[in-house]
Amino acid sequence: MEKKAKKYNLFHTKVDEILSANEFTSADFESATAKEKEAMVETHKSVSYWRDAVRRFKNNSVSMVALVVVILLTLFAFAGPYMIPYSYEEQYRGSMKLGPFEYSESEQMAKQTLQDADAVFSTALMPGSLNSLRKGDFAFRFQGKWYQFTLSRTMRSGYLMIQADEAEPLFTVKEDDFVAGGSYDKTPVAFTVIDGKPTDANVTIITMSKSIFPHVFGTDSAGRDIMSRTMYGARVSLLIGVIASLIVLVIGAIYGSISGLIGGKVDFVMMRIVELIYSVPDVLIVLLLQVVLQTPLQIWFDTSSIPLVRALSTLGVGIVSIFITFALLYWVGMARIIRGQVLMLKEQEYVTAATVLGASNSRIIRKHLLPNSIGQLVVTTCLQIPSAIFLESFLSFLGLGISAPMASLGSMCSDAIDTITVYPYRLLFPAIILSLLVLSLNLVGDGMRDALDPRLKK
Amino acid sequence: MNGKLLEVKNLQVSFFTSVGEVKAVNGIDYSLGYNEVMGIVGESGSGKSVEAYAIMGLLQSPGRVVGGNVLFQGEDILNYDAKQMTDLRGNKISMIFQNPMTCLNPVYTIGNQLSEALTCHNKDISKADAKARAIEMLEFVGINNADKRFAQYPHEFSGGMRQRAMIAMALICDPKLLIADEPTTALDVTIQAQIIELMKDIQKKTDMSIVFITHNLGVVAEICDKVTVMYAGHVMEQGAVNDIFYNPQHPYTRGLLRSMPRLDSESHARMIPIEGTPVDLLDPPKGCSFGPRCEHCMKICLRNDPPLVQIGENGHLSACWLHVRHGAESKEAK
Amino acid sequence: MTSFILKRVGSALITLLVVAAATFFLMNAVPGSPFVTEKSTPEMVARAEAKYGLDKPMVVQFVNYVKGYFVGDMGVSLKMQQDTSVADIIFNQNKLTLSTRVGAFALLLAIILGIPSGCIAAYNRGNGVDGALRVITTIGVAIPGFVVATGLLVLVGVQLQWLPVRSGSLETASAFILPVIALAFYPSCYIAKLTRASMLDAINQDYIRTARAKGLKTGTVIFKHALRNSLIPVITYLGPLTAYVITGGFVVETTFSIPGLGKYFISSILNRDYPIIMGTTIVLAALIIFMNLLVDIAYKLVDPRINLSKGDE
Repeated sequence: MEKKAKKYNLFHTKVDEILSANEFTSADFESATAKEKEAMVETHKSVSYWRDAVRRFKNNSVSMVALVVVILLTLFAFAGPYMIPYSYEEQYRGSMKLGPFEYSESEQMAKQTLQDADAVFSTALMPGSLNSLRKGDFAFRFQGKWYQFTLSRTMRSGYLMIQADEAEPLFTVKEDDFVAGGSYDKTPVAFTVIDGKPTDANVTIITMSKSIFPHVFGTDSAGRDIMSRTMYGARVSLLIGVIASLIVLVIGAIYGSISGLIGGKVDFVMMRIVELIYSVPDVLIVLLLQVVLQTPLQIWFDTSSIPLVRALSTLGVGIVSIFITFALLYWVGMARIIRGQVLMLKEQEYVTAATVLGASNSRIIRKHLLPNSIGQLVVTTCLQIPSAIFLESFLSFLGLGISAPMASLGSMCSDAIDTITVYPYRLLFPAIILSLLVLSLNLVGDGMRDALDPRLKK
Repeated sequence: MNGKLLEVKNLQVSFFTSVGEVKAVNGIDYSLGYNEVMGIVGESGSGKSVEAYAIMGLLQSPGRVVGGNVLFQGEDILNYDAKQMTDLRGNKISMIFQNPMTCLNPVYTIGNQLSEALTCHNKDISKADAKARAIEMLEFVGINNADKRFAQYPHEFSGGMRQRAMIAMALICDPKLLIADEPTTALDVTIQAQIIELMKDIQKKTDMSIVFITHNLGVVAEICDKVTVMYAGHVMEQGAVNDIFYNPQHPYTRGLLRSMPRLDSESHARMIPIEGTPVDLLDPPKGCSFGPRCEHCMKICLRNDPPLVQIGENGHLSACWLHVRHGAESKEAK
Repeated sequence: MTSFILKRVGSALITLLVVAAATFFLMNAVPGSPFVTEKSTPEMVARAEAKYGLDKPMVVQFVNYVKGYFVGDMGVSLKMQQDTSVADIIFNQNKLTLSTRVGAFALLLAIILGIPSGCIAAYNRGNGVDGALRVITTIGVAIPGFVVATGLLVLVGVQLQWLPVRSGSLETASAFILPVIALAFYPSCYIAKLTRASMLDAINQDYIRTARAKGLKTGTVIFKHALRNSLIPVITYLGPLTAYVITGGFVVETTFSIPGLGKYFISSILNRDYPIIMGTTIVLAALIIFMNLLVDIAYKLVDPRINLSKGDE
């Protein structure tokens, strides 16, 4: 049995008094073994830097919510367009100026048709201005089987409906001006069942719809689906944000580390250049660059046959000129940060110690410089993303960045301003998505800064 | 008057952090008479500075006094309200800090900061008088060209000069007690010696008492009458300066003295560091906090806090089970 | 101090020259002549180019151009108001006045709102007031300026109809309110965040502990010792703030249909009226650079630690 001694906390206690008040055994005064002494000190497990950072980030509820929002918005931007049948650039005739969840006349008709049909194909749901059914061969798939039919003449607008509850599925083609609530004639069409998807290029494949997808955010004056445009706009924003940040990171890292590592006169000159670019009012120059770059870029894209340039040209002049702007002006902040890190680390005692111990330069960079500056690099790069998005939307809003038919949240907002009194929702959706995107990216960046900055580590 | 200027009784201070309560000061006692200098010695994290902030009412959240009393001239100043504390600070009790480089406000002149310390306790004093007094104080702490220095900014002062200015500021209201929190730690060795000389000098000229917090035993020997050795928020040993230096009883004090370079020691005597690392206050060991690092550690040390026992005259106290063991052994021998 | 100011003025002039050169050469790098339209013949183009001095070598043009600025000759508009002097368009057509008025009010509002809310947030650190302010300011600095402007337009102008949707030439006080709020929103939030952070930073400094140890009252400690130090970062922000107000003005003027210099500048860019683009860019850049200069000098006055001999960093 272990004997519990009282806790003594008396001032001026005499040893005799303690001895008479307590009984001690000789076992109490045996020397403790080294093991016992060690066991007393509970050593805290040392947590690795990254694991610690992840833990801190997870504890930050605001950043976690923001991260979820960023993920949702990324899905919205990249997976969303595959979920809806509308494209961002097509103008759906007859679907102009629709409010959220409003249906155009022909869509209403198609919807009505669906009340007594199991699937419908309507030319009104086809993108483009030529939504008539030309004469020729058509094929479609229904309940796992392929069917083919032939139209002997072009129809201005047509509906093909299927009623599967009949003994034989009934296919009807309808060509009429639809009057809301009115009836329409059914003209059965002769069809044949065929084996598999037709390979003949002359046969137009049409998609039967089981429901009419609504224009969730409505459409704009040209009949373009706003939700689809918002999705593409968000996609453009995210792409610009990420790529521009990477450009800034690469240029800034190279410039900053060269300046910091070489030092001396080179450093002096390089830093004067940085200061000069820093003190130039950036937005003014950015606006000029947008003007200047448009034409030569367009010419370059049109004439060049280099694969990379062709790939770039698919992005469009607006986006590429924004990248060039970032590459020219916005790397200076990153270069300063990296130079500062390099200089600071160069003079740190542990780096000196490593040098003294005979570590090679590459080892020092790998083991000391990188792990110590990577946190700041990641954070600065992350916070660059929302500011790039910010700049792109600002330019597009002023009509200088990305313009229609390419979708950009900024240009969508500015397009909406002219009709703001009648269709305020056209502003609302892109503005909300853009704000959410920038806000949540900023919050994630802030959270990462708090999580990764070892100086805040307690 | 009971002859005591300051009595600290079972003072306990904790920091309530997100990961748990940190008991920075865990029940310490000492008393200080008039015209006396008490040295408080311990390594970093031993709670010596926290204890001083607690007395001054300068603890920052999440730090809080959780128990004990601090009697200043017989009154418990822990019960003072904010206004009483404000009147007391800088007036009756002054404090100087470790890092003179950061302790002065960079955007105000030395003179401004100095006279402010006077005028905030003495509303009637005229600006000219305050300035005259401030210059007088600057001269008193050995700053030349005091009237010119008065109008200068802290960054125009060297480290040692700033600490002198800090001392002048602390003494401008003739306080009864000066708490010096490692005033020489951040200074060069030669400057350290000057500041210590200055403080000794000032202490002789005024009848002020000083609580001198340091981890430097050499400084303690220079200036102190009494010494309290702290470890992990506990008092380890306490007594007159001679008892501590020439008759140390606690293993920790002995360890500290052995780890100190000495010029007068016999040839080839080695400096012996104390093994191990300071305790983690978040998770202190169950028994004696010094136990894991103590070469004499016994089974009982691992279970129970040692009692603070009287081991000599002049209030020589030591908190160690070894004293109890010696007592028991000598009792048996009889 | 004099040498510091001289040095700083020198570097400001160099920056301005760089901006002028960049503007000039960028504008001239655009392929094709500004006079080429579908109808123009080569002779017409050549005549027009000779008239505007565009047939001379680039460097000569640049030197003439810089010389012209020194005597107030900024060229003439090519398209927007053909043959009207750019200097006239910028300075004498009420455009600059309108923009300056909105900008100055917004600047003032941002400071008046931002600094006290930052102090209040710092003082209430951790409680509800701080939390609410933090939510507002975090949103405020993240949302693009044009979203705020258009949002205000929809909410207050269209839905509630309290204030006019188009501010026009700002003849009534009510026309002022929305543009100024829209322009001041981001900088007030930013200043509030900055003040809060630097205030908290200042409060944790050693000299604040010294001030408390002296026996100063909490109010004196906060307002004398903490505030002045925490205003230093805010002062340095005034330069970027001016730049923001100018570029933000483009958006606000476009949104609220104010015929100010900003809106005009954007139209001139869209219309490729090069002399106006260059003139406006240089005037606005000069304004921003001058403000940065003032800020640096003010910074120097507030913080005695800044070394007199060094201009930067």
